[in-house]
Amino acid sequence: MSDLDITNLKEEIAKSLAEVRTKEELEALQIKYLGRKGVLATLTQGLSTLPVEERPSRGRQINALKQSIINLFNEKLQSFKPQEKKVISFVDIGLPATKQELGRLHPLTQLIREICIIFSRLGFVVVEGPEIETEENNFTGLNIPLEHPSRDAFDTFYLKEQKLLLRSHTSPVQIRVMKARRPPLAVVVPGRVYRPDALDAAHSFMFHQIEGFMVDKNIKFSDLKGVLEVFARAVFGKDIKMRFRPHYFPFTEPSAEVDISCIICKGKGCSVCGRKGWLEILGSGMIHPHVFKYVGIDAEKYMGFAFGMGVERIAMLKYGIDDIRLFFENDLRFLRQF
Amino acid sequence: MKVTYNWLKDFVDIKIPAAVLAKKLTMAGLEVVSLEEKAGDWVFEIEITSNRPDWLSVMGIAREVAAITNSRLKIKNEILKIKSQITKSPTKLEIKVESKEDCPLYTARIIKDVQVKASPDWMRQRLELVGIRPVNNIVDITNYVLLETGEPLHAFDLDKLMQEDGLQIFIRRARPNEKIITIDAKERILDKDILVIADSRRPIAVAGLMGGKDTEVTEDTKNILLEAAKFSPPLIRKARQKLGVNTESSYRFERDVDIGIVDFASQRAQRLIQEETGAPEVLFKSQPKTIPLKKTKAIRLRTKKISAVLGFEIPFTKTKKILQDLGLKVKTKGKDLNVFIPSFRRDLNKEIDLIEEICRIHGYDFISSTRPSTIAQDIERSVFDLNFLIRDILLSQGLNEVITYSLISQDLLKKCGLDETAIFLANPLSKEVEILRPTLIPSLLTVIAHNLNHRQDLIQIFEIAKRFKVPQKEEYFLAVGLCGIKVRLTSAGRQEEKMSLLHLKGILEILFERLGIRDFGFTATSHSTFCEGRAFSINIEDKKIGMMGEMKPEILAAFDIKNQEVFLLELNLSSLYPLINLSRHFHGLPLYPEVRRDISLMVDINLGVKELRDAIIQSGRPYIKDVRVIDFYTGAHIPKGFKGLTFSCIYQSAERTLEDSEVNSVHQNILQSLEKNFGCQIR
Ligand SMILES: [Zn+2]
Repeated sequence: MSDLDITNLKEEIAKSLAEVRTKEELEALQIKYLGRKGVLATLTQGLSTLPVEERPSRGRQINALKQSIINLFNEKLQSFKPQEKKVISFVDIGLPATKQELGRLHPLTQLIREICIIFSRLGFVVVEGPEIETEENNFTGLNIPLEHPSRDAFDTFYLKEQKLLLRSHTSPVQIRVMKARRPPLAVVVPGRVYRPDALDAAHSFMFHQIEGFMVDKNIKFSDLKGVLEVFARAVFGKDIKMRFRPHYFPFTEPSAEVDISCIICKGKGCSVCGRKGWLEILGSGMIHPHVFKYVGIDAEKYMGFAFGMGVERIAMLKYGIDDIRLFFENDLRFLRQF
Repeated sequence: MKVTYNWLKDFVDIKIPAAVLAKKLTMAGLEVVSLEEKAGDWVFEIEITSNRPDWLSVMGIAREVAAITNSRLKIKNEILKIKSQITKSPTKLEIKVESKEDCPLYTARIIKDVQVKASPDWMRQRLELVGIRPVNNIVDITNYVLLETGEPLHAFDLDKLMQEDGLQIFIRRARPNEKIITIDAKERILDKDILVIADSRRPIAVAGLMGGKDTEVTEDTKNILLEAAKFSPPLIRKARQKLGVNTESSYRFERDVDIGIVDFASQRAQRLIQEETGAPEVLFKSQPKTIPLKKTKAIRLRTKKISAVLGFEIPFTKTKKILQDLGLKVKTKGKDLNVFIPSFRRDLNKEIDLIEEICRIHGYDFISSTRPSTIAQDIERSVFDLNFLIRDILLSQGLNEVITYSLISQDLLKKCGLDETAIFLANPLSKEVEILRPTLIPSLLTVIAHNLNHRQDLIQIFEIAKRFKVPQKEEYFLAVGLCGIKVRLTSAGRQEEKMSLLHLKGILEILFERLGIRDFGFTATSHSTFCEGRAFSINIEDKKIGMMGEMKPEILAAFDIKNQEVFLLELNLSSLYPLINLSRHFHGLPLYPEVRRDISLMVDINLGVKELRDAIIQSGRPYIKDVRVIDFYTGAHIPKGFKGLTFSCIYQSAERTLEDSEVNSVHQNILQSLEKNFGCQIR
């Protein structure tokens, strides 16, 4: 018996099986091939007539053939069995989900992170500074004389001991960084600041600021506008417009307040923007030569810009929050919305 | 500062409507915060920045309007034309200025037969529009001229000062405890830091702030002395702060008045008074006799510097015109300019100030947007980054971040059973926010109380913030608070999990694992805030870096928290940062299978799990790889005073598959040691 014979035999059986219609026919066929005196049994008996060295390989062939035939018969037999009805157990997907509750960052921290990432992508590094500051860093170094009306915008908490204070803005970190490192510099400073404002919906004695500044040989006022445009679009959306408006800050010259087109009315004028169509979001300007002089940077060689924004104000505009106290009350029903 | 459209028109031709002008002013740095149509006029309310005292006058704003609308300033000379020339008068008047620094210029005019009455309607109306209450013609004129020129004036009733031999006016520091009753009928106690105007008997005015009651102009006043002066700004500021009064006068003196306008204002007032009353006789005296005009400064303005700062070019002719429109004198020096600064622009001191003026008038809208080239700086892992890493680890465990005030009350500390010395504010807003908190725990407890009040079942919160310690130390701290029951609906139904101290421990273990801190532990301690037996210090490398525990019920009661357990933890992050190790090293995966054997035992309830676990590891050498507690129980099936524990011991070798006999022999060692050393009953 050759390999061909085996293949033929398999085909022959498959053909016969295909024609089988009843269980009885199948049984008859089974006896014919697999019975004690069936075709396969005869083949096995024929092994003894072969030379000894051929027997093992032929034996394996016959066994394999037998197995595949048994499989074919079993398959056919299955087709006669009545189809069992499948029982489906439905999951009520309306049931509450089993889930791991997620912790959430405070909305202010989320915004601080978002803003710091934006500036990091522009090459700024994040630096923090102490909340207890000296008058020199908080005022004098920033060109704010201690006894001068320009200081009135920066009412300040003083500590009982020494002449120390709680910083009223993040700008003292400008002084710290510029004293410690040489230009070129690009730094953002997030942090808590304090001013003695009585608590109401719009005022808080503690709030957060993000300060940024860049110092290099050829930094221009127009660079400030370009960088802040990137920032404003990233935070408030591609379509917002931004404008510079002249203002006065003792530590910058020229100075600008920065407005964005109202995100509520898109510039048409509404109650949020006081019918102006513009929302003020931050203060900025070119670092004043007096500040450079104080920290020992040559103002003829280097120029720089600085800006500072209130994080709460930006969050309130961005999320439509109308009471600053909500940030510090930490009601979970509030926190879970962000 | 309020100003009206028509009043501005007295000094400048305006051809644009009020609303358009308002926008232009805002974009020139004079932010118009409101514009109202009233009585046939428009009232502008403008926010004046502290660097521009010259804008605290109608004339100053008119000058700006001229520059931004391209029109001419018209300060007509006739407003100064005085009807009768100064006459020689028999009145003897002497002005004695104690210090030129305190008072660089003092002028006095005596005007006789003034007829005090109501002002004409037009003046009353203008004053009312800008928020000044009309009084009588003399007082109104001084106010009117103050608003118009920015120079505060004061009128005294001359006859109440006059003495038989004439009048001496002293401008001097007040004597200790000297008193004056001011126009507002308040008695004010003065000292040497306060400058007064006095006659030979007593102070008649607090210089630059307010006149005295008994010398004020009333309906009976016949003759007046009109004061126009310049005082030292810091001195006025100090007096204003000390006496707690802020007047239109002090506001301007504090920001410094233009010495060049002092006599102009006085003459302007005199003319108005004469027009109004026909008063004839005038005597003028000033100290010093000739008015000391400051030398005009010259500032060199380099054309190249303008574009270097701004980032765009402004034509040279335009630059020149802007400066001239602002009332500055300009001389061309090659490519550059010499700019001469008049006395009303004391804010212009440096080249950069001029560049801002040019940009401001040219228009900030013309500033282009450019992008600076990026600066490649060193990047280090900062505290800022580490805090975010810690936040992320805590968030992943379901904790919500909170932000609370750094300022709290001493009472809140006491309420928490704490008596730490805190840093006090010198000028707190109230007792509620008088100290810099020495711990975050009270703040977190307040948040928990608030949320329980709003029916939250589960509160898992944390905060990372500065903690302040005497004398002036500030350190980052982490605080975690847990309270309530975690309810989960799973396919097995409702499952409840009550928050416990072990939850805090779990949060820390995961935190430390992620931060690469291995050598940490907890030791029982006692603490005024935490329950006995439920207070632990958190140690790393045997150094205490934090505390955790269950809050005492009586403290909770003080926060109105009932039937709840609250667990709090506080960790000094500033001490933690140096111990953080974020480097990782890969260990090859085990080649040979691990064998697990469990031990269930019963042991004295006071025996610590840590000791047992240490003992198992000790006697399980060399094959034991790990030991875990997989069950813990007390109650029904266990005799009183005992607890049941199940340990799972993991055996593994790095060299080969362990034979059963090898594992059995080691495991037997463990069981024996547990029985012998701890009296454990193996089950
Ligand atoms: Zn709007």
